[in-house]
Amino acid sequence: MISRLPISTVHLRRAITIASFSPSTATQPYPPPLFLRPLTYSAAPSDLAAFRRWATARATVDGPRLESSDGGPGASQLLRELSWLLEDATSQSNGKILMRADLDELYRLWKERIEERKPFQYVVGCEHWRDLVLVVREGVLIPRPETEMLVDLVREVEGFSEGLWADLGTGSGALAVAIGRALEDKGRVFATDLSLDAVEVAGINVERYGLKDKVEIRHGSWFEPLKDVKGKLTGLVSNPPYIPSSDIPGLQAEVGRHEPKLALDGGMNGTDHLLHLCEESATALRPGGFFAFETNGNIQSELIANHMSTKWANCFHNVKTVLDFAGIKRFVTGFRR
Amino acid sequence: MVLFSILKRSLSRNPNTKKPIFAAFLSSHSLNPLPLRSSFYLVRSRIRDPYGSIVFFGNAGRLDLSHFPPWFRWFSSSEASEISEATTSDGLTVDGIVAKGWAILDENEGDWKSHAAAIAQSIQLIKKRLQWKKMSVRLEQLSVTINKVDLWDDPVFAGRVSREHGGLMSKMKEVKGFEQDLLEHIDMLKLAREENDQDLESESMKALLNMRRTAKEKELEALLAGDNDSCSCFIEVQAGAGGTESMDWAAMLVNMYKMWAQHHGFGVTVVDEMPGEVAGIKRATIKVDGEYAFGYAKAEVGVHRLVRISPFDSAKKRHTSFAAVAVIPIIGDVSTRYQIKESDLRIERFRAGGAGGQHVNTTESAVRITHIPTGIAATCQNERSQHSNKASAMSVLQSRLDQLEMARQAQLNAEHTQSLTEISWGNHIRSYVLHPYRMVKDLRTNYEVSDPDSVLEGDLDGFILNFLSSSLDKDEDKL
Repeated sequence: MISRLPISTVHLRRAITIASFSPSTATQPYPPPLFLRPLTYSAAPSDLAAFRRWATARATVDGPRLESSDGGPGASQLLRELSWLLEDATSQSNGKILMRADLDELYRLWKERIEERKPFQYVVGCEHWRDLVLVVREGVLIPRPETEMLVDLVREVEGFSEGLWADLGTGSGALAVAIGRALEDKGRVFATDLSLDAVEVAGINVERYGLKDKVEIRHGSWFEPLKDVKGKLTGLVSNPPYIPSSDIPGLQAEVGRHEPKLALDGGMNGTDHLLHLCEESATALRPGGFFAFETNGNIQSELIANHMSTKWANCFHNVKTVLDFAGIKRFVTGFRR
Repeated sequence: MVLFSILKRSLSRNPNTKKPIFAAFLSSHSLNPLPLRSSFYLVRSRIRDPYGSIVFFGNAGRLDLSHFPPWFRWFSSSEASEISEATTSDGLTVDGIVAKGWAILDENEGDWKSHAAAIAQSIQLIKKRLQWKKMSVRLEQLSVTINKVDLWDDPVFAGRVSREHGGLMSKMKEVKGFEQDLLEHIDMLKLAREENDQDLESESMKALLNMRRTAKEKELEALLAGDNDSCSCFIEVQAGAGGTESMDWAAMLVNMYKMWAQHHGFGVTVVDEMPGEVAGIKRATIKVDGEYAFGYAKAEVGVHRLVRISPFDSAKKRHTSFAAVAVIPIIGDVSTRYQIKESDLRIERFRAGGAGGQHVNTTESAVRITHIPTGIAATCQNERSQHSNKASAMSVLQSRLDQLEMARQAQLNAEHTQSLTEISWGNHIRSYVLHPYRMVKDLRTNYEVSDPDSVLEGDLDGFILNFLSSSLDKDEDKL
């Protein structure tokens, strides 16, 4: 997996710091998220209304087609996204419409959404997740609604708020930030990721929520950057890549064409990384430590849970599968002996 | 007594001009004994507390209260049983003023009798709207309860009783205070004329005129004096039978309420929306955020009827459609809310299908929460995260359960608005006719306008105020 990132890209991206986030920097591959840009533009109400009519028509015409082709967004979802796009891009003051992007860009963004199937979250550069607004962009997985529940599972653990936590494969930093916000004085989160894109974006999100003292981002694969806290961790969370390789080509265009394979592809059965995590958890966690992993659902959860309570029965106890709100066995949780 | 009234007024009504008036008074009335004046000052300085009722500073114990008129004893006590009729020094009461039938002239006519008559009439109307008699009886009941020694054995009940008692008390005090102010100004005006004090006379006239204007505002406020009137609310609209045509009508109504709420500066958010197959909505819930949103919107509860040439009918026939509207208050006081047990809830992803998780990119994270014991459910799909959808659905569910609880307690004392399931499709409250003639008519009040477009664009205040005042003003027995 490490070899998937060409060295040149690594060097290029390493040069992009959080400071480069300001629009003044000349060489930046990603524009800042819409909602964080200044209100530098304005538009006549009639022009904005024309955009809205055009975008609505496109959504209504193309939505049903996208939905039936590969389970993409339907018309009603696109219309909701359109209202959020305008919510992020515009602001009304004294009857004047101020904008964070000019109308040309809005037309372009909506075309990208529908024609290129660019995920809405990449279009606007953010994802609302739990009570957070997380910056996201190409190269990091868009946090899923299901994953929100992992934070609730963590918060049920006794003494979680003063513990040392690790979020493995943090991506946008969603889990790390949400857990970090709930911690008290002694609590810390270590967030690791192999992808430098993820390290950068997670850094932005940690910074935005003022959690630099609580959340430490470390670059590297899974447990590699955590050798210094081995056997001391109160708990582990992870939403590792779990989609079986053979499913990748059939994914909905938003996911398959735009999101990083590194964050999706879990190997032949989808369990390569999950199994690695289980194995390493036995030594990374302190005795009594807690883990919660997201899986591909049902069969995969059962397989992992079964594995941990049989093959590694002497390492773990109280291993359970937990349902998501759609009634799918989405998570595996348990404790180290 | 007259002297005391003047002093009181000059010290209380007009903090900015306090000194000059006081000086004028001293110069024109040499008869007042100075020591008494200073102790009066101590007792009579007063301010208005945040509820608009009057509180006194100083040590009342220094004076013999029996020298004061009965209303003063009322102010010094908090017991309902001691409320008694306020009068001027020559025995004129508010009802007395109305009974005299003085002509009510234009505000600009500087006639004190006209001002006084207008104000007295407003006070009567305010009392009627507040259901004064019922209020007094209730206050007396509550006072008895509140004096029981074992009251606080049940702290929840005690809290509710003392809150209600306090609320009624401050509402009644406010009106009583207003009434008292009127009578004092009359006293003062008469005195000023006796003494030929023109400054004082014009001061009093100005004060009466101000009161006359305030009285109009208070009349309006009194329309919204119900328990939950000041709350924000949810407005729910459900399409009646008749397919697309009535779903379109339901969507028009939702739009009408959105625009009405925006005109009023209320925050509006769509919480839940079930779109129709072709057009419109099957059902929608919007949240209206702001002071008195419920007080106004509750006038809209019921079935609304539309008559028009249907745009969905290729034969261009006239259609009649119905949609039901329910309004639920969002109760602010946490302690009076229905207690929901976490274990009674079933939370599920709404309209979820397929593998979920990393397989799917979707911005839809609708959640449905069902309260298992009652079967009541709430859905929210318009928030940008599942967490927020859940919180939003939870607040709708909470309010629906509160409403159910209120309905249960309705026979005791509270009033409640009907939920969608309680509304009977049999009678409609308002008719919107676009063809063959154009008119919107409220069947409860007979209020009508001939411009349906403006109504559908949210100009509802005429209908709302007419309904509120007619429902409170018609019943003579309530005073």
